[in-house]
Amino acid sequence: MIGPGIKRGTAELAILSVLEGASLHGYEIARRIEQQTRGKLRFTLASLYPLLYRMENKGWVRGTWQVSASGRRRRCYRLTPAGKKKLSPLRQEWAELFRALRQLTKVADA
Amino acid sequence: MPDWRKLVNEHLAALALEPDERAEVVEELAAHLDETFLDLRRRGFSGEDAAKRCLSEVQDWRDLRRKIQTARRKERIMSNRITQFWFPGIVAFVLSEVFFTLLQPEPGILLWGRLPIRMFFYIPWLMFLFIIGGIAAYQSHRAGGSRRAVLSSILFPVPAFLAMVLLLQFPFRFSFHYLAGVAYPVGLAIDWHGIHHITALGFFGGLLGWVLVPGAALLIGGLLVRLALNRLQSSQDMAVG
Repeated sequence: MIGPGIKRGTAELAILSVLEGASLHGYEIARRIEQQTRGKLRFTLASLYPLLYRMENKGWVRGTWQVSASGRRRRCYRLTPAGKKKLSPLRQEWAELFRALRQLTKVADA
Repeated sequence: MPDWRKLVNEHLAALALEPDERAEVVEELAAHLDETFLDLRRRGFSGEDAAKRCLSEVQDWRDLRRKIQTARRKERIMSNRITQFWFPGIVAFVLSEVFFTLLQPEPGILLWGRLPIRMFFYIPWLMFLFIIGGIAAYQSHRAGGSRRAVLSSILFPVPAFLAMVLLLQFPFRFSFHYLAGVAYPVGLAIDWHGIHHITALGFFGGLLGWVLVPGAALLIGGLLVRLALNRLQSSQDMAVG
């Protein structure tokens, strides 16, 4: 199980990554992250929305109200050009970190 | 299905946002709980269990409210900092320097002159600082500044005075005299006993004369204006009540 400190750091990357492919509302974002990480990363309402609002404030995502087929109003988020720009270096940073950690643990095991 | 909108609305009643913005947040969070509940029901959870799991999405509503407030109001906080602190502080600093430059006679006379000549502009400068402190307090207060923001903007020029007193203790102090108006008071401070004879007394005299006393003048002027504005506001409140 991944600890809360690491989760906080990866949360932005996770949200940006799932929004890369599609425009999603908050619940869908949380569900997709949970499914794609096989439950390793799980967002509750309390952890998701403050982060989404902060990312919206930074201009990485934009939320717009849409009405679904069932007539429900939902706020859908999509990546902005600034968010797309942010995603690539963020991915690289985390990949480097995990590579470094893998090497470290290999050395420790050996 | 539980009334999620009512529940969220009750928990976030004290959310300090504009009414429209707050309503949007409530609607969005309620929609999330709706979706969660329906999804859990589809996956075979009983109504009671699904509701329990929905409620467990938020352990601490007060904490959530604070986090949402911080996230949504960040931009406003930044603009508040500018209007409540940076703008009045910079105005106070610029005015204190402008008046210093305008009031002083020819710098050469001052550097080598006697105390009465210095006092000739020093006292009027302090009086202007008194007014400048009041202007800073007024601007910060009018922009809705807290007590801390008002106080910080009043005293904004003081660190610059202090920095120059300290900087001019170094050997290259002479060049600083000609850099900007701010250098002059410090040059004078060090010149308490002649520019070539820097003494501890001169340094502490400088601190007193060019940092503490001007700071006090700014502070007294600012606090008096703030007090007056507070009284005015309370009397207006009473009149409205």
